[in-house]
This record gives sequence, structure tokens and C-alpha cells, in this order.
Amino acid sequence: MNVLALPVLLPLFGGSVLLLVRRSAVRRGLATAVSAATLAVSAIVAARTFHGEILVLQMASWAAPFGITLAADALAGLLLLASNVLALLTVVFAGSSLQHAPVRGGSALLNRAREAFGAQALLQFLFMGVNMSFLTGDLFNLFVAFEVMLLASYGLLLLGGELPQLREGFKYVVINLVASSVFVITAGMVYGLVGSLNMADIAGRIQAHGGDVRLSLMAALLALVFATKAAVFPLGFWLPNSYPVPPAAVSAFFAAVLTKVGVYALLRTFTLMFPAEHGIETALLALGGATMLVGALGMVARRRWRHAMAFANVASVGYLVAAAFVGTRAGTTAALYYLVNSIAVVFVLFLVAALAERVAGPNYRRHGHLGLYPWLGAGYFVAALALTGLPPTSGFIGKFALVRAMLAAGGGLHVAVATAAVLTGLLLLYAATRIWREFFWGEADAVHRVAIPRAMSGVTVVAVALLLSLAVFAGPLYGLCGRVAGQLDGNAAYRAAVLVPDAPPRSGAH
Amino acid sequence: MELLMPLLAALLIGAGVFLVLSRALIRLILGVSFISYGVNIAILLAGEGERRDAPPLLQLAGPYNDPLPQALILTAIVISFATTALLLVLALRAYQVTGTDHVQELADRPDPVHSPVVYADPEVPSVSPEIGTAADVDEDGPS
Repeated sequence: MNVLALPVLLPLFGGSVLLLVRRSAVRRGLATAVSAATLAVSAIVAARTFHGEILVLQMASWAAPFGITLAADALAGLLLLASNVLALLTVVFAGSSLQHAPVRGGSALLNRAREAFGAQALLQFLFMGVNMSFLTGDLFNLFVAFEVMLLASYGLLLLGGELPQLREGFKYVVINLVASSVFVITAGMVYGLVGSLNMADIAGRIQAHGGDVRLSLMAALLALVFATKAAVFPLGFWLPNSYPVPPAAVSAFFAAVLTKVGVYALLRTFTLMFPAEHGIETALLALGGATMLVGALGMVARRRWRHAMAFANVASVGYLVAAAFVGTRAGTTAALYYLVNSIAVVFVLFLVAALAERVAGPNYRRHGHLGLYPWLGAGYFVAALALTGLPPTSGFIGKFALVRAMLAAGGGLHVAVATAAVLTGLLLLYAATRIWREFFWGEADAVHRVAIPRAMSGVTVVAVALLLSLAVFAGPLYGLCGRVAGQLDGNAAYRAAVLVPDAPPRSGAH
Repeated sequence: MELLMPLLAALLIGAGVFLVLSRALIRLILGVSFISYGVNIAILLAGEGERRDAPPLLQLAGPYNDPLPQALILTAIVISFATTALLLVLALRAYQVTGTDHVQELADRPDPVHSPVVYADPEVPSVSPEIGTAADVDEDGPS
């Protein structure tokens, strides 16, 4: 079972070694190798969880409620696999954008100075925090995983020290520190109330204890923390200006994965620990509806590539949160499929934005690039279809399932959120079409073609292919999401696997 | 004792929130520190109560305080130490770059306008696609 520790340990040791390596070519190769190894381990973990197995690792063999537990059910496996695929692509993209760095100007891309000051190592620490968030079965350890992830993200966001980075970075750090304070105080009070920090154990004790207004308050505080991380309206005001600040590859990973870690934590909290807090779930459903609209309107309003894409990410978080809190198994299934789809779509959109910024600057109102960069246009076209939810892409399948689950659930609020989802789709279509018209169509402003390094375009092609494969293999994937949703419904298998009664202490097992 | 400690935690967190809402970076950092002190005391209080059994590895008699919240606080202290150090460096750097530690002045400062991109790689033609002009940057307003 020790394979469960590897997705955390490999990036930790890989990142530490990367700090010591001096030659940047060696650093690039090593970072790619570490990420590839982590991906391989994650794929093994994911494959085993997809067969219904639940992997559990009790750290230092302390039995479940007393030690720190790492546990992977199919939800964790799915997210672990998705995020590590993107991690590998991010490392390759960052390495290439650095090899072909602009000498001066163009702060959008990772440059040599940033790389020399440990951007690759920080990326590995970021992956470590993300993997640990998915795998941990302990509430306080989840806080630690969030902090690891956030500290690495502070470094990546601030490396370079230019004015926009300092300004947006300060807001980002302070907001996350305040949210973390709320998180840690909530973890402490949950321990004080329930007497355990193991999530499966908390679930059992709350179930035995029954409803209590103090427990509802704890659930509300946790929802507040995770909604802030996931950028749910009205707590997501920090996201759209801060995510375009770091280097292109990094902001792609931030947008595609970090906000989804918040969504994952929300799902875990309200399926496992607090399944009976229906009031908070309804509030989150409504806020999800509001988040989509805010994201789509923001995307319409913005004129810069990555600012617009950051709002597109907010819109997709809105869809996710709304679908996750429909309250039916069909809704959870739709949310899980949309989660995978949204991770891929946002990543591709940010890669396309990075390439477009590289050739034409941060503003997308520069006409006539389709003739110069036809393949970039093709990539954008696929991603825009998937974002707006038009067939034949995976976005259509996700949104169709989501709206159908909403309407099947039947309440007035559900119908309102379904309406908001359709309206958001139209707004996103408008915004995406306008970028298409203003950047790709029209008389060419630029005459010269700026070459795009082969590795960068290669990563983008792979990402687009992955996005398309989500639609091609929609049947098996949707079936898998259904099984994951079934596992989350009650979480009996997860709790039984973590809390083995009278487990003999396995001394010397590692 | 039972009343004093919660009041102290509330006072620290209240003072922290007040400072975080102020406009000077250094007061903001002090506010974040105060919040984390208050949080630590609150967690310490959460550990008090009925569970006063023997510590896990000792067989001694007598009421003991639960050691776990203290371990939690220790972790939280280390993390808040690191983040406070980071925030201080960040504030210092912001002051060096802009000459101000006032939040509003920092927000009003226009972004630097980048000169046209020149690529170091010989494979990439060294053209200037006339990007990053002031008009671009101002179009979105302060971001």
C-alpha cells in the first residue's frame, strides 16, 4: 500500500534535488522525469481505485483515528490522475517557454531568472501539495497540504518581483492566509467538538451524534474556506486578476487544478463528513449559479487573453459547484464528468492564451491571426466549443447532463440554476466568438510570423487531443463518474476501509 | 481562566481583523499575525474539556491536557512564521519598487509598459510585433 505515499514523496524529493542542480538543461530533464514518474504512480493508484478498491496507508502504522491516514477512493484517483497528467505537461511547457525566453519585455513567460531561482522546484512542491490534498484522509493534514500548495504558489506567483506581481501577489497571499486561519481554527474546533480529526472517523461520530447547531456552524466555516479557494461568488474576487500574473505555464496549472482542489474539498466535506447539512448545500447550489453568471460576464468584459480565460475558469467553477450540490446522484455524476472536462478545457484555453500572448501580446484585439497561425486557431476553436458546451465536444455532454440533473431534481431553485446555466452558456458563446472574431479573423495587423517553439506547440496539441478524447471516450468515462458518485453516496466503503476495526499494529511493515 | 482565554482569543482576532482592514502594508501584516495568535489560543481552548486521560505513551495517573491541540498549534505556528516572513519580504520589495506602503497608492500605480519583445533564440526571427503599447495596458483599467 506504500504506493500511496509516492505521489507525495516523489515531488518532495524531486523538488529538493532540483534546488541543488545548477545546470538548467539538467534541471529541465530531471523535473520532467520526476513528473513522469509521479504520473506513472498516480496512474497505478487510479487504475486500482477505478476497480472499486480503496487504498489506505496509515502513516507509521498508527491505526486509523490516531495517526495520519492517506486514503484513495475513486474520486481521489480520478483527480490524482488528471492533475498529474497536467503536471507533466506543465513542466514540459514551462521548460520550453524558458529555453526560448524573451530577453527583455514580455513578462508573460517564464524567463531565465525565474528558472534560476527555483521555479521548477516550486512547481514540484506545488504538485506535492495538490497530490497530498487529494490523498489525505485527515482534516488537519488537509490544512497542511493546502499550506504546502499555497506556499509554493506564492513563490511561483511572486518570482520576478514586478509591480503587478507584488500588487496581486499581496492580495493573493493575504486572502489565502485569512482563509487558512479560518480553516485551522475550524479544524481545531471540530476536534474539540467531535474528538477526532480523521475524516472517516468524524463522519461516523457525527452520524452517531446527530444534528447539532455547532456542527452546522463548523460545516459552514469549512464551506466558506473551500469556497474561497475555489473562487465561488462572492468569495472569488481575488482570482481573475491574480491568475494572469505568474508565468504562462504556471497560470495554466493554477487555473486548471488549484481551484478544482477547492471544489474537491467541498465535495469531500459534504459527501463524507457533513452529508446532512442540506441548508448549506442549497446555499452553495445558488452561489454556484451566481458564480457561472459572474464568470461569463467577466469574460465578456475583459480584453486581455489570460484575464478573459481566468473568468472562463470562474464560470466553469460555478457549473461544478452547482452540479455538485444538486443533491442527487445524477447531479454528482454530472459534476464529476464536468470536473474532468473543466480541468482539460481551462488548461487548453490557458495554453492557447499563452501562445497567443507570445506572438501578439496580452491584448486579444489584434486582427487576422488565423492566416499566420492556423493550428493555434484550431486549438482555440476546439477549446471554445468545449467551454461553451456545443456538440460534439465533452463540454456539451457535461452541460447536458448537468441541466438534465437539475431539472430532474425539480425544485424552484434547481430550475433557476438550470436557467442560469443555459444563459451562461450563451454568454460564454458570445465572449468566445468575440475573441475568435477579434483575434483570428479580419485583416492582418501583423505581417511577420513569430515562430512558436516546438515543445510548446507539442504540449498544446497533446492537451487538445486529451480534451477531444474526453468526448470520444465519453461513454466509459461517464460510466466511471457514475461509479465514483455511487461510492460517494454514503461513503460506506471508504469509511470501512479507513477504520478497520481492531487492526493489528503492523510493525515493521515499511 | 475559562472566560479570560476566550476573551483574549476574541480580542486578538478582533484586533487582527481591524489591522488587516487598514491601508498600510505593515499594519496589515501585523493584523495577519494577530489573527494567527488568536487562532492558536482558540485551538488550545478546543483541547480542554472532558478528555483528560493519560497521554498515549505513559501509564501515569492524573488528569492531563490533550496533547493533540498543542501539536496542531505547533504546526500552525511554523506555517504562520513562514508566511509572515514571506509577507514582510513582499512588503519590503513593494516599498522598494514603488516607494510607498499604502495599499491605495499601490493599486493606482500603472503597470510597467513593456518594450517590444526580443527573442534570444536564433531560431526565432528577431522581429518586433509592436506589442505592449500603453494603449493596451490601460484598456482594462487597473487590474
